[in-house]
Amino acid sequence: MRVKVRRIGDAMHPSEVVVQVKTIAGNENLVVDKRSIQHDSLAIGAPIARRGENWLVELPRETMQGAWRVWVKRNALTEDAEEARVA
Amino acid sequence: MILTDREIKIAIHRGLIRIEPPPDESEENSAYSATAVDLTLDPSIAIYDPQLPGLDSKIDPSSPGFNVERIADSLTRKHKLSSAGYPLPHGEFILAWTAEYIDLITEARLAARVEGKSSLARCGLAIHMTAPTIHCGFQGRVRLEIFNHSPIPIVLKPGMKICQLILEVTLGTPEKGYRGQFWGQTSTRKKKAKAA
Repeated sequence: MRVKVRRIGDAMHPSEVVVQVKTIAGNENLVVDKRSIQHDSLAIGAPIARRGENWLVELPRETMQGAWRVWVKRNALTEDAEEARVA
Repeated sequence: MILTDREIKIAIHRGLIRIEPPPDESEENSAYSATAVDLTLDPSIAIYDPQLPGLDSKIDPSSPGFNVERIADSLTRKHKLSSAGYPLPHGEFILAWTAEYIDLITEARLAARVEGKSSLARCGLAIHMTAPTIHCGFQGRVRLEIFNHSPIPIVLKPGMKICQLILEVTLGTPEKGYRGQFWGQTSTRKKKAKAA
C-alpha cells in the first residue's frame, strides 16, 4: 500500500525532501529520501487497522511531530503496482 | 538475533536489504565485521553555528507546528567535505549522513541499529544522539548526529568509516508487513469486481 504525499520543500541533504501527509487530525510533515517517492506516494506496507473510512498506517519515517502511525482517509491511500497486479 | 557477516551478505544477495553502494568485501578494506557492516561518511554535512551573543532562543518540540527540519536548517550552515576533511572542534555538533542508501524491505523481518565504531568512540566521537533505531521499511541514507566529546578537534573526511550497521531479525512480522488482515480491502479492482 502507498500513502499520497505532497512535496513541500527541500530537506537538509540533497537526497532528501520534506513531504506532507494529510491525516484525519491534520497534516504531518516528514523527511524522506527522494527515491522513496513514486507518483507522489510513499510505500507504507499494509494498513494496521481500520475504523469505517479511516485507516491506521505506519509511515516509513518519524514525522516532525514525533508520530509513526497516523489515521488517514481511504482516499489518501493507493495501491502499489505489485498489489494492483495481485488484486 | 543479530545477523552475522555471512547472513548480511546473504540478505543483500536475496534482496531483503539494499545497501548502495554495496559494502566493500575486499580482504584489504572489508566493511564487514563478525556482526556488523561499516557505513561511510557522505561529503554533505550541516554544521550548527554558535549562537550570537545576546540571542535568547530555545527549541520547544511540543509547540504546534514544530518543524525540526526548518529549525535545524535555520541553525546550521551546509558544508561539503573536501578530501582534506573538516576538523570538528571540541564540543561542536553537526548533522551528517551516510554515503550509503539503505532499504530495509518491510516484509523481510529485519530492523537495524546504527552504532558508533569503538576506534572513533575512544577519540571522543559520538555519531548518534540516543536515536539509533532503523525501523523495517526504512529507505534512505542514515542521518547521523555527530558530537565531539574530545578536548581536541577530530578530522572528518568523506568516505571514512563512520558507523556500523547492526541488523537484527524481528520476532515475527510487524503489523505493517502483515498482508493478511486488510490485504486488498482498498482495492478498486476488487470493489469493481464485487459490484459486477
